[in-house]
Amino acid sequence: MVVEKAAASPPVPVGERRPQKQEPLGRKKKIRQQVTDGFTVKALMKNSVVRGPPLAGAFKERPTKPTAFRKFYERGDFPIALEHDTKGNKIAWKVEIEKLDYHYYLPLFFDGLCEMTFPCEFFARQGIHDMLEHGGNKILPVIPQLIIPIKNALSLRNRQVLCITLKVLQHLVVSADMVGEALVPYYRQILPVLNIFKNMNGNIKMFQTPHSKRRRKDVNSGDGIDYSQQKRENIGDLIQETLEAFERYGGETAYINIKYMIPTYQSCILN
Amino acid sequence: MAKADLKPKSIRHAKNWSDEVENLYRFQQAGYRDEFEYKQVKQVDTVECWPETGFVKKLQRRDNTYYYYNKQRECEDKEVHKVKVYVY
Repeated sequence: MVVEKAAASPPVPVGERRPQKQEPLGRKKKIRQQVTDGFTVKALMKNSVVRGPPLAGAFKERPTKPTAFRKFYERGDFPIALEHDTKGNKIAWKVEIEKLDYHYYLPLFFDGLCEMTFPCEFFARQGIHDMLEHGGNKILPVIPQLIIPIKNALSLRNRQVLCITLKVLQHLVVSADMVGEALVPYYRQILPVLNIFKNMNGNIKMFQTPHSKRRRKDVNSGDGIDYSQQKRENIGDLIQETLEAFERYGGETAYINIKYMIPTYQSCILN
Repeated sequence: MAKADLKPKSIRHAKNWSDEVENLYRFQQAGYRDEFEYKQVKQVDTVECWPETGFVKKLQRRDNTYYYYNKQRECEDKEVHKVKVYVY
């Protein structure tokens, strides 16, 4: 006995029946995907797409902190004055550099490497240049006190500060005898940041991919001219020059210590 | 009469760079005509120079501040014509 269901629809005549809906050939059923973070239970599901890891921020600039150099400069403790000449600016020293206490002043000037605004940046840079040029054997005993300011300047990861600090380092190793060798034990504090920026030979731009934001180097400047090499502002080249200066003036153990911190570095003396 | 007490008779502008022009540039940056006036004003016999290049190393200005100069050339080609050469 056939039991008719209650409220069932009346039977449709054969001619009026519609064919069953079927998927067209070649078209797969759409699966809704969800974007999720890694190492979660959701990530194990079949329809989930795992988001890439967040940026570590290796190239990100750090904020500057107030420096002792600025504090001393605003107090007027430095024996320097700013003079304007046809070439731009020049430092006039109120006291002879040979009579200055290098243990006190040189680390302060190096602390000013973190500065990015005029006139502190200019005074720090030019003051370091003059003191290294005329320091002689007074520079070597002060080397240990210069490492922390150099490390702080490099860790800012600011392009302008990096360029200036690298040029200062190149001047430092040639300023007096044995200075290059005295820097070797401190390579582990100075070189890690150089390892990060060693391959920066172009402009950094942000490219947004569907799943993550990533920074990629872009050396394609179109029909423009890259003046950074001419002006000695190409960071990759500056780092290479600095490492070569370290190796030349650092003695026998310099190369192996540089290689330990920067494995991709190739010797400029042995090859 | 010592040359330092003499006043220059004529003046001309330098046309090409040379070691002499470089030193004159440095003296004039510090506010002096040349080496003779510097020795006359500061009452010194010698001027500190770089042994390698012979260029002036350090000068004391009239306000008693000190100017220090690089070992290498500082006078650019575009500044050469501004250097005054005094003839005694």
